[in-house]
Parts: sequence; structure tokens; C-alpha cells
Amino acid sequence: MPEPEDLKRLGARLDEARRHEAVKAQPAAASPLGIAFRFATEMVSALLVGGALGWGIDWLLGTRPVFLIVFFVLGAAAGIRLMIGAAKEINARAASASTAGAAEEDGED
Amino acid sequence: MSPLEQFSVTPLVSLHIAGYDVSFTNQALVMCIIVAAASLFMALAVRKGGLVPTRSQSMAELSYEFIANMIDATAGKAGYRFFPFVFAIFMFVILSNYFGLIPGVFTVTSQIAVNFALAVVVILTVIVTGFLKHGIRFLTLFVPKAKWYLLILLVPIEVVSFFTRPISLSVRLFANMLAGHTMLAVFAGFVVSLGAAGGLLSIIAVAPMFMIVAVMALEFLVAFLQAYVFTMLTCIYLNEALHLHDNH
Repeated sequence: MPEPEDLKRLGARLDEARRHEAVKAQPAAASPLGIAFRFATEMVSALLVGGALGWGIDWLLGTRPVFLIVFFVLGAAAGIRLMIGAAKEINARAASASTAGAAEEDGED
Repeated sequence: MSPLEQFSVTPLVSLHIAGYDVSFTNQALVMCIIVAAASLFMALAVRKGGLVPTRSQSMAELSYEFIANMIDATAGKAGYRFFPFVFAIFMFVILSNYFGLIPGVFTVTSQIAVNFALAVVVILTVIVTGFLKHGIRFLTLFVPKAKWYLLILLVPIEVVSFFTRPISLSVRLFANMLAGHTMLAVFAGFVVSLGAAGGLLSIIAVAPMFMIVAVMALEFLVAFLQAYVFTMLTCIYLNEALHLHDNH
């Protein structure tokens, strides 16, 4: 029967290995093309949705083009907000990837 | 031959029911094959259920763990009940992307209609889950923490950005697949026309050929990455419905 001390050490090593695996499992930082694609789709779809919502409200109330204009502008605002969100997320991922990489290097010293 | 010809949906069996065109198309055929392939693969791979997995069992277990970890990392334990849903979406999208890379096979995810249908199912699941779990309080998702007079402006913006999700989710996948496959077809067209030109030009035809190999390699990466992004965003949206403002 193995010593509990051994088991504890094995457990610690397993946890360590799992942590490393979890870090590695994160996909690499997005490519510039991917980022550009992402920003473009966020912006374009926000504008489309804003326009469509405004058009729909106008169609219901018969007030064309008041809400179309209002919601198109709101769509632009939402698009910029989503782009900022996407940029923040990409930054956070890049930062966590670099700190994780640094931690890994430290651990191997 | 146009590089966009590969995206045309053509009926294989013409069917019209009650005035609607419900023909069985090449796209429907590929989707059926994908669903059959995914089901068969998962069923056969885990049939033996060995403690030491075979190669196919290991592949099935890896895909299972990949999605399980993703749900755990984004939505936590509460997200596990959505595992079958998320896993089905992942398998469908990734198999569509990879089947599409086989020359001559129709790429299902290059059709915005297919992606949009998937995205709408995701967003409806989010909305239904949110209302079931939080009731009317789910609507506070649209109310950020701010002064009341700013809310007049912010709430419509939040609503618009919420409904942007299914669009951007489907457009991203669609645009990536469409761009990649068009690029492949364009380079393939260069090879043919340069090869037919004769003389020195025929020798240059090798260059776009190498380009196809490079783009193909990139497409293999994109096929996985886009399936990953689609599934990841599904998990993130589900998390918001499950935990509302906890993780903001």
C-alpha cells in the first residue's frame, strides 16, 4: 500500500499537469484576418439588425422613416459597443495567454 | 465555370407540398449524410466502451471532453444540462466544414440560411432558458448599471446588440466558409486557364497549384476554428441566460 504522502504528491502533480493542459487547450490568439472578420461582422450585423428593427416598428406604426433613422443610429452604437467588447475579449485572451506562458516558463526553471 | 457555382443549391428530387417547394436538394443530402456520419461515428466508437480506448473511441472521448471542458469553463456546472444541445451543434458545424473540404462535396455552412437557422435555435434556447430560470427578471439583461437618463439610450442599444447575435453568429461562419471556398475555386481556375494557355504560361500554372495547397491547409484550420467559435459563443450566450449579471 502506497504512503499517503506519495498519493498527496501524485495528486498535486496531477493538478499541476491538468492546469498546464487547460492552458494549452486554449486556442492560439486569433489571426489578424480573423479579428478583422469579427469586427466587420459585428458592425455590419448590428447595423442590419438596427435598420430591420426600425423598419419593422415603422411598418407597424406607419411612421416611416422616423424609427428607421433612430434605430439605424442605435445599430451603429450597438455595433461599436460590440466591437469594443470583442477587442476587450481578444486583449484579455492575449494577456492570459502571455501570463500563462510566462508562468509555465517560470515553473520549468 | 464560375467560382461561385459550387454554392448553388440544386434539387435532386422535386417535391411540392401545398404550394411550398420542399425539394430534396444536394444540400439536404449532404446534411443527411453529416447527421448519419456523426451518429454512426459516435455510436460505433463507444460501442465497446473499453477502459483502454481504441483510436476511434479516443476520438469520440476527446470531442466529448473538449465540449464538456468548454461548457465548464464558460457556463459552469449549470451549463451541463445543455451538453447534448451544444455537442450536437459542434458536431454538425465541424463535420459540415470538414465534409465541405472534400472536393466536390457541397459545403452546408456556406449557406447563410443553414447558419441562421442554427443561430436562431441557439438564441431561442437562450431566451426560453432565461425566462424559465429568471422569469421577467431576465429582461434586466438589457439594463446595464448606469444613470436613469442614460438608460433611455442604453436599453435600445442593448436590445439591438442582443438581436445582433444570431446575425453575427451566422454571418461569421458563412463569410469564412464562403471566402475560403471561393478562394480555392479561383486559384483552381487559374491553374486550368494558365495550363490551357500553353508555352511559358503553362509552366507558371504550378504556382497557383501550390497556393491551393497552402489555402487548403489554412481552410483545415478555419474549419475547426469556426466550429469552435460558433460553439464557444453558444456557451457564452447560454451562460448569460443562466447567470444573468453574475459574470459581468
